[in-house]
Amino acid sequence: MKRLFAALLSLCLLAALLTACGGPAVDPDGPATITIWHDKEDEVAAVLQEELDQLAPDIQVKLERKDGLTDSLKMVGNDPKAAPDMYFFAHDKVGVFAEMGILAPITDFVDEKTLAGYLPMTIKAATYKGEVYQLPLYFETLLYMYNRLYMSDEEVPATTEELYAYMEQTTQGGHYGFVEQHSTAYYAAGWLHAFGGYILDSEGNPGLDDPNTIRALEYHKKFVSLMPTEGEYATVNTLFREGKAHSTIGGPWLVPTAREAGIDLGIAPMPVVDETGSPIAPYSGVQGVHVLKVAAERKHDAIAKVLEVLTGDSVGTAIAAASGCAPARETCYQDPAVAEDEMVMAMYETAQNAVPMPNVPEMDVMWTVTENLLVEVNMQGADLQTSANAAQQQALDLIKQMQ
Amino acid sequence: MKQRKETMYSWLCSAPSLLLILLIVVFPILYTAYISVTNMNVYHWFNFSFVGLENYRDALFVFDSGFLAALGRTVIWTVLNMVLQLVIAFVLASLLNIRDFRGRKIYKTILMVPWAIPGYVSILLWKTGMFNSQFGLLNQWMERLGLQAVRWLANDVSAFLCCTVVNLWLALPFMIMIMDGALQAVDKSYYESAILDGATWLQRAVHITIPEIRGIIGPAVLITLFTTFKQFDVVYLLTQQAGARTGANIHTILTYAHENAFITNNYGYSSAVSMIIFAVLILFSTAVNRRKKEG
Amino acid sequence: MTMHQRRRTRRALAHLLLHLLFLAICFATLVPILYAVSVSLNADNSLLSSNFRFIPEQFTLRNYQAVFTQEPVMLWLVNTLILALATVAICLAVSVPAAYVFSRMRFKGRRPVLRLLVLLYSFPSVLSMFAIYRLLSPLGFVNTHLGLILIYTGTMAEFGLLNMKGYFDTIPVEIEEAASIDGASRAQIVLRVVLPLAQPSILVTAVQVLIYVWNEYLFATTFMTGAEHYTLAAGLYSLQATEISGSWPVFAAASLVVSLPILVVFFAIQRHMTSGLTAGGVKG
Repeated sequence: MKRLFAALLSLCLLAALLTACGGPAVDPDGPATITIWHDKEDEVAAVLQEELDQLAPDIQVKLERKDGLTDSLKMVGNDPKAAPDMYFFAHDKVGVFAEMGILAPITDFVDEKTLAGYLPMTIKAATYKGEVYQLPLYFETLLYMYNRLYMSDEEVPATTEELYAYMEQTTQGGHYGFVEQHSTAYYAAGWLHAFGGYILDSEGNPGLDDPNTIRALEYHKKFVSLMPTEGEYATVNTLFREGKAHSTIGGPWLVPTAREAGIDLGIAPMPVVDETGSPIAPYSGVQGVHVLKVAAERKHDAIAKVLEVLTGDSVGTAIAAASGCAPARETCYQDPAVAEDEMVMAMYETAQNAVPMPNVPEMDVMWTVTENLLVEVNMQGADLQTSANAAQQQALDLIKQMQ
Repeated sequence: MKQRKETMYSWLCSAPSLLLILLIVVFPILYTAYISVTNMNVYHWFNFSFVGLENYRDALFVFDSGFLAALGRTVIWTVLNMVLQLVIAFVLASLLNIRDFRGRKIYKTILMVPWAIPGYVSILLWKTGMFNSQFGLLNQWMERLGLQAVRWLANDVSAFLCCTVVNLWLALPFMIMIMDGALQAVDKSYYESAILDGATWLQRAVHITIPEIRGIIGPAVLITLFTTFKQFDVVYLLTQQAGARTGANIHTILTYAHENAFITNNYGYSSAVSMIIFAVLILFSTAVNRRKKEG
Repeated sequence: MTMHQRRRTRRALAHLLLHLLFLAICFATLVPILYAVSVSLNADNSLLSSNFRFIPEQFTLRNYQAVFTQEPVMLWLVNTLILALATVAICLAVSVPAAYVFSRMRFKGRRPVLRLLVLLYSFPSVLSMFAIYRLLSPLGFVNTHLGLILIYTGTMAEFGLLNMKGYFDTIPVEIEEAASIDGASRAQIVLRVVLPLAQPSILVTAVQVLIYVWNEYLFATTFMTGAEHYTLAAGLYSLQATEISGSWPVFAAASLVVSLPILVVFFAIQRHMTSGLTAGGVKG
C-alpha cells in the first residue's frame, strides 16, 4: 500500500513538474494566422477550409469549432489573447455584439460595391444601426418535408386545413400525419407570421399579446393536439427518420440524415393558412463571417484577403452543395449546379416569404419567454389570453432589465 | 508564547490552501459584488459606471412569488433528496457489511459506476433513453406490460420525482462509499455485546451504528447538502433546456434566476441577483448549522 | 435436522435473498449505462428507436472507431491527465496540512475561518465564472492549462479541507499523544501515524477531485479554445449531439470511453478506500 501511495505521489509531482515546464502554450498568433470560430457541420467547415487554404502559406486560416460560441464571445470578445479573429455564425447576434463594441464593420474590409452583388435580404439582415457587420455566405430556413412512402406528391397539403384533415386521417397507431417542434419559438414563429403576428419587431418591441399572435396560437393549438407532446428535436426528427411521421417542418440539416435513413424525401412549399391566405413563414437565418474589433487593426490586410476569397462565387456554390442552403450571392444562381439543386431552390423559394430573425439585442430574452408561453399554452392548457399578457409583461420587464 | 507559536505555525500550514481559495473563490465573489453596483451590460460593456444599489432595487422584482415558490421547492428538493440518500445509502452500506457476504466487492464496484460518468452525460441518457414518452425505455416496458404510455416529465409532480431519481442515481455512489467507510470504522465489539443483550438490527442501528458514524460522515453530509441545494444541471437539463422544455414547471432558485436574470446579458443586474441568492444560501446554511448544533 | 444445520440453511437462504436484492439494484443502476453500451454498439444509427433491445441485432464498432479516428481523443486524454494529476497533487499538498491544523490546533481565527469556508462552499461557482474570467485574464492565465489547474485546485481545495478536516477530527488525539511521548517529532507523527490512518479519507478526496476534473466541462470549454487544448470532458461536450451536429451513437461511445479510466481507478484503489481505520487498529 505504501508503495502504491508513493508511486501515486511521485506521479503527481511529475505531472505538476511537466505542466510547470510545459507552461502556457506559446501564442500561435503570428501576423498571418487567422482563427475563425464556428459551430457548423463538419461538411460546411471542410468546404470553407479548403477554399481558404488557397491563401497558404502567406495566410494560415484555422477554423475552430467552438461550442457555446456566443457565450464564449461575450466573455473573451475583447481579449486579444483568447478571442478569435473572426467568427462564422448566424446574423441574429449582430446586435448584441455590435452594442458590446466587439465587432468591426465588414465595410472596413470589403468594398460597398461588392456588397451590391448580394441578395438584398441578406445584407439587410447583417445590418445593425446602419453598419454591415456580417459578410453573408448563405441563408437557411425551415422547409416542409414529407415521406413519399406515405404521402404522395398529389396529397401534399396546399393549405393548413388540408394539412389538418390529413393529420386527423393518418395520426393513429404510433403514426403521425405531421410533426414539428411545436413549442419552440423558432418553429412556432412561422405560424405567427402567417397571421401577421410576431415575436419581436425590428425596433425591439415584443408582440406576444398582439391580437394576430394570439389568433395564430389559438389556431395552432389544434395541430399540436395531434402531435406528440414532446416537441424537442430528438423526438420529432427521429419520428420522421423512422418513418413514423409522414411529414414535418425541419431545417436543411435534417435532409442528409433522413436520406441516409432511407426516406424517399419530398420537399414542398409551406402550406397556406386558409384564414389569411399567407403561407407559414418561418424565420430565416443568414450565416456569415464577422470580424472582431481586436483583430481588425492588427491583422487588417490578412482579414481583407480572407474576406476577398469568401466573396467569390465558388465559395457560395461549394457551400450550397455541402449544406443544401441557398447562397447569399446573386450570381451563384447562374451556376447550373445551384439552379438545378432541388433543395437549394426550395430553400430559395421558401426564403422569399421567410422573415429574417431580428438582429437586435432584445431578441436574446425573447427565445425563452416565447418558449415559456408556448409550453404553457400547448402543454399545460393555460388560458391563452392570460398567458400571452403575462409573457408580454415578462418580455417587457426583461428587456428593461437589459439596459 | 506557545499559543502564539502555534497560531503562526497553523496559519503557515494552511496558507497555501487559504490563498488558493482566496484567489479562486473569495475574490470572484467580491468582484461579483463590485459588478453588481455597476451598470455593466450589453450597452455599457467597457464604459460601465457605478450605479449604486439600482440593480438591487431591480433585482427585488425577481424575488416575487415565483421566486418564493422556487425557494420552497428547492428546500423540499434538498430535504427529500438528503433523506432518501442517507436512508438508502445507510441500508445498502449496512447490507454490504454483513459478515461472510461474498461478492460484496463486485456489487460495491457496480454501485460506484454512475460516479465515473460525467454528470451531464448521465442526465441526457436518462432524459432521452429512459423518460422520453415516445421512445424511452420506461414506456417501452410499460407498453409491453400492456400499460398506457406515461409522459414522465410533463407534469410537475412526476417530473420532480424523475429529477429526484436521477439525482439519487448520481449522488448515491459517493454517499454509499462514505457510509461504507464509516461503518467499517465502527468497533465490532460493541455489536457483540449488543447481540448478546438481544438487540434487534434496528436497535443496533439506532443506538450504536448511527451515533458512531455520525461524526465520520458529518462533513460529507454537509457538503452533499450544499451540493444538492445548489443543484442546477439535473432540473435544467431534464425539464427546461431551451428548445426541449417538457411542460413541467419545477424551477429551483438557480434555474429561476437563470431564466429571469441571466438571459438578459446584464452582468450588473445578474450579479446583484447572484449576491442575493448568496445571501439566501448563507441564511440557509446558518439555519442548518444551528440545527446541527442543537441536534 | 440439527440446530446447526438449520441455522446454516437459514443463513444460506438469507444470503440468497441478499444476492437477489443486490442483483436487482445493480441492474437498476446499470440500465442507463447498458443503454448507452447498446446504442454505441448498434449498427442502426439511432439513439431513439421504438423497439429497443439491450443486445443489438447487428453489432458494429464503427462508433468507437469514429471516436478514436475522427477526434483527437489521445490528445484530450493527455491534457486531462496533466490537469487531473496536477490538480490532485496540488490539491492534496495544500489541503492535507490545512485540514490537519484546522482539526488539531486551536489558534486565533480558526473558528471564523471555518465558518466562512462552509458559507463559501454554498456559493455556486457558476455564478462567479465571469468574475473568475475577468480576474485571471489580466494575469495571462486564460487559455492555459495553468489557469485551469488554478481554478480547479481553488474550487476543490475547499472541499478537500472540509472533508479531510472532518475525518481528522475522528482520529483520537491519544494516538498522537502516545507517539509524542515516545519521542516522535510532530512531522514524524503526522507522516507515520496520522496520514496512514487518514488514508481512506485522503483517497476519497483524491478520487473526488480526480472525478471533478475529469468530468468538468464548463470552465474547460470557456477558458480554453481550440480542440487541441480540450480535456476529455470538454471534447465530449463538443461532440454532444445537437440537432445540427452530433451523432448520438458516437456520443454514447465517447462517453463510455471517457468513463472507462475512472472505473479502472476505482477498481484499483477501492480496497484501500475503506479499510484504513480498522486496519490501523484504532479502538475507541
